[in-house]
Amino acid sequence: MQIIRRVYDWFDDRYQITPIIEKNVTKKQVPRTLGWAACLGGLSFLVFLVQVFTGVLLLMYYKPQPDQAWDSVTFLTSNVPMGWLVQRIHTVGANLMIVLVFMHMARIAYYKIFRRPRELHWVSGVVLLMLTLTLAFTGYLLPWTQLSYWGAKVGTEIPSAIPIVGNDIVEWIRRGRAISGETLGFFFSLHIWILPGTAVLFMLMHFMMIRRTGISRPL
Amino acid sequence: MTCANSGNCGRRRFCKTAITGMTAASAAMVTYPVAAFLGLPERLESNKPLEVPLDLLQEGQARYLEFRGLQLILLSWSDTVNVFNASCPHLGCNVVWESAEGTFRCPCHGAVFGPDGTVVSGPVSAPLQPVPFEIQDGKAIIG
Repeated sequence: MQIIRRVYDWFDDRYQITPIIEKNVTKKQVPRTLGWAACLGGLSFLVFLVQVFTGVLLLMYYKPQPDQAWDSVTFLTSNVPMGWLVQRIHTVGANLMIVLVFMHMARIAYYKIFRRPRELHWVSGVVLLMLTLTLAFTGYLLPWTQLSYWGAKVGTEIPSAIPIVGNDIVEWIRRGRAISGETLGFFFSLHIWILPGTAVLFMLMHFMMIRRTGISRPL
Repeated sequence: MTCANSGNCGRRRFCKTAITGMTAASAAMVTYPVAAFLGLPERLESNKPLEVPLDLLQEGQARYLEFRGLQLILLSWSDTVNVFNASCPHLGCNVVWESAEGTFRCPCHGAVFGPDGTVVSGPVSAPLQPVPFEIQDGKAIIG
């Protein structure tokens, strides 16, 4: 344990990290009445990080072409050591993140924490919710299974109900008239970096605003 | 205020040990699978070829095989051996060998294929996909 102490002291000498760690972790002050529900936001973020990590691992084997996508996923699941575990964590994590995000939203709504001065927290939070759901939707197409294909087909058919521009929107999303390799490539790039990048930006705003306004006291 | 004053040094030590132990176990539980996942592909079992002894198969009989996540069907017919991907080119159901008829049949939509995989009838536009293999010492070697 001495080695850990010495490494810590090396950093502390140079960067004075002890006050930062104390203020944010070991001696952090929270209201007495705060319950476990206050952890839901942080938990959502933790699951997001797990998704990014497992997603990067999956990306080492996934091939985003229609004739190779499902084979690459099957290969990963059955032939790469622990591949089944990485894929299963990513799938369960996606569902788990959505559940946690909704529970977090419910707590905020119930305690009316979105009131002044925290209106923009709520707005950025809703944007994050939309990004999370879209991440789940685009990710589901990638394994190119029957459920993936038909789910994406039905989901992308919904905008066609909008008058006048509906069909154009559907064609824009699908990159064509039907779900194809073009759709797969588009959803892939959305899922890999466009949506996660945007989510990180909005998370940064969300967290910075929360730190600035401070924790709100329950009613 | 030391633990000697409040009389709970034993408890503090227990908690420290327990938490350190659990953190170390958690770190190991994450590191091991990731390290295994990132390992070299040469060690993967799947890269080895599949060997099938042919003496167990009679003329006019077929066998299902599992190979790299695929289901294959191996047929012994008129002194030759054929290996196909058992997945019907229509919608992927496994085809069944009917030895009385001398044809492959797909139970899902009724596609019929000859013993060489060509289409006889049914809602299918492509023949059964052949799988390359070699015969050595009375065994079929796939892959």
